[in-house]
Amino acid sequence: MRWLAVHLPLLPLEAFCATLPLEQAAHPVALLRDHVVAQVNTAAAEHGLRPGMKRATALALAADLLLADSHARREAAALQGVVHAALAFTPAVTVHDAQTVLLEVEPSLRLFGGADALHHKLCAALQPLGHRVSTAAAPTARGAALLAQWQPPRMDLLKGPHTTQLDALQALLLQAPVWLLGPGREHWDALQGMGLRTLADLHALPRSGLARRFGGCLLEELDQALGLQPDPRTWAQLPERFDARMELFARVDRTELILHGAQVLLARLVAWAQARQARVAAFTLRMLHERARDVPEPFTDLRVELAEPSLDTAHLQMLLRERLGRLALLAPTMDLLLHCRHLVAAPAPNGELFPTRASESEGLTRLLERLRARLGEDQVQRVVAVADHRPERASRSLPVGAPVPEGLCDAPLQASTLQRDLPLLRPTWLLAEPLPLAAREWQPLMQGRPLDLLSGPERIETGWWDDAPVARDYYIAQDGSGALVWIYRHRLPVAADQPVWFLQGLFA
Amino acid sequence: MGRLAQAPQGSVASGYDELDAQLPGGVWPARALTELLLPRAGVGELRLLAPALAAVQAQGRDLLWLDPPAEPCAWALAELGVNVKQMVLVRSRQVLKTKAPPRPAAGAVNPAADVLWALEHALKSGHLGAALAWLPAHPGVRLPADALRRLQLAAQAHDGPVFLFRSDAERTRPSPAPLRLLLNCAGPDLLQVHLLKRRGPPLQQPLWLDLPPVLSDAALERAWQLQGDSASSEATSVEA
Repeated sequence: MRWLAVHLPLLPLEAFCATLPLEQAAHPVALLRDHVVAQVNTAAAEHGLRPGMKRATALALAADLLLADSHARREAAALQGVVHAALAFTPAVTVHDAQTVLLEVEPSLRLFGGADALHHKLCAALQPLGHRVSTAAAPTARGAALLAQWQPPRMDLLKGPHTTQLDALQALLLQAPVWLLGPGREHWDALQGMGLRTLADLHALPRSGLARRFGGCLLEELDQALGLQPDPRTWAQLPERFDARMELFARVDRTELILHGAQVLLARLVAWAQARQARVAAFTLRMLHERARDVPEPFTDLRVELAEPSLDTAHLQMLLRERLGRLALLAPTMDLLLHCRHLVAAPAPNGELFPTRASESEGLTRLLERLRARLGEDQVQRVVAVADHRPERASRSLPVGAPVPEGLCDAPLQASTLQRDLPLLRPTWLLAEPLPLAAREWQPLMQGRPLDLLSGPERIETGWWDDAPVARDYYIAQDGSGALVWIYRHRLPVAADQPVWFLQGLFA
Repeated sequence: MGRLAQAPQGSVASGYDELDAQLPGGVWPARALTELLLPRAGVGELRLLAPALAAVQAQGRDLLWLDPPAEPCAWALAELGVNVKQMVLVRSRQVLKTKAPPRPAAGAVNPAADVLWALEHALKSGHLGAALAWLPAHPGVRLPADALRRLQLAAQAHDGPVFLFRSDAERTRPSPAPLRLLLNCAGPDLLQVHLLKRRGPPLQQPLWLDLPPVLSDAALERAWQLQGDSASSEATSVEA
């Protein structure tokens, strides 16, 4: 058995900092417990704040200090993110306490290529969650947890004989201080008074006396850490759906301000999806509004669907950022909920070094996704060819993702490049709406000059089965400068003042 | 993802021998902007570019068209060798409805904002074969001063040609594009090309290129006749 312990010493502070908007993330932040500073971030440490100071001292040292309180649900959610990231490496993951996660990695070592490689990949997977991590490895669960929390100086806790051999672990742990054990913290004063500072001191004392004086828990924990007693754990379960909630620090009414919190939720989503060994196909970000008289809806939903499922945190964050940029909030929000249940278990994308056709098309899909997220779903279009004689229906540009029209020509159109000497039948530019032309006697005019009809008429009469019958005579005409245009003459009867000649295309 | 070897060749020939002889390197420049100045849409620009676009698609890469002045006709493009399945159209949200725009108010949105943003990011993504962008041509509208320079920088990451279509009123204004062509219609199926700017010695004489024909031979003769008649009638009206 080989246990890897991941300890997050600043988890409560980091969970709080995730709720701050981006511009406040660089402020000094301090976590208070019992009105005394318990944890500080780097910006606060630079101002001179240290754990143990009183609240007033802290505020005097840093005027723009943000004070945080410990919040159990927020910290549990942050820990769940770490648990999910760990579940991608082994199914045997358990929560040791509010800030430590244990992994049993012996069966996974071969898959990940050794203990060093596994540790490296685990740290890379935890990095997007934004926590400071200290790790240790040992043959017993509690021993690994204690080592991760203790962090003895000048020691690499991931290498060394203590990671695999029980007696080496025992020799190391016996030097550890007594406050690492839970009951040791409770009875710290008494133990200190008796001169018991390290676990070796405790281990040397008679067991019955220790049990009578401090309770059986102390001995039980000590034995489990040293490997003298079994230590059964309940394993963490991976949920089928992902639901994460975050309460922001301040009410926000602009979508940019929720970006930071939403990005932390996205990092947790990707960790969960990686543990499920699938890729994210769609997710929904729900922003809750407070109840007020002029608020029509209690929440605003933003659904992001991916054309190609992906696990790339940066790509998901970019899509969310672009979509949030286009969204206008109905009312200020303070609660974010991220929900995902659409996962796709498909083979991993192409990771080759040289660009291939598959990787180029994937890159193009991502580019189109980004353009659609920024400009709107309808602004990115594809040209489709339909088998219809009416020119405005024969070739249309439809938004990518719109339903295809009937009669779509899916087969590749024959490119008659060998027959370049034959004339082109259709103009390259088609106007979206035919432009009416003025006419003098029988000759159509464009910009005041008469058009010379050169080729035609080509009669198109069709569409009687739809509501759009057309009966037209098409001509190729030349304007004053020699450019060729495609015009038609309406053959259905029209009123006297209605235009008869229309411009429909340009031969470019 | 690293790219150690540039497997697809970015530069494509124009397909017209006379033009290839005058282009630096005999190809449309890759990793740089090419400006095509037109008096209006429909002078023959698509038939000019069609062989190059077909060559890019033959390499398996896609085209991006930004804000074309009208709808491209799938059937006509197929005849010219361009496959619409390997093509994407992007329309900007700032569509100028009126022909002459009102004076832009202070702080008004740049009408080419979407086109410039989309083109810059598409070029930087490096997954395109070729890009064609139509910039707004209204006389009262000016692009931001550094817009073209930014596009030129972004084009250096893109292994293929980038074509910018602008109005021919821009011929007197400087531009960072290394190749600038002025296109004019010289008659039916005939295109006049002035190389305003290129790497190397300037070209004084314009080129006349025969485009893939639209008219049959009989219609072509009649067209030239009519052109000749109108030219002589203009000459007589000038003399008279």
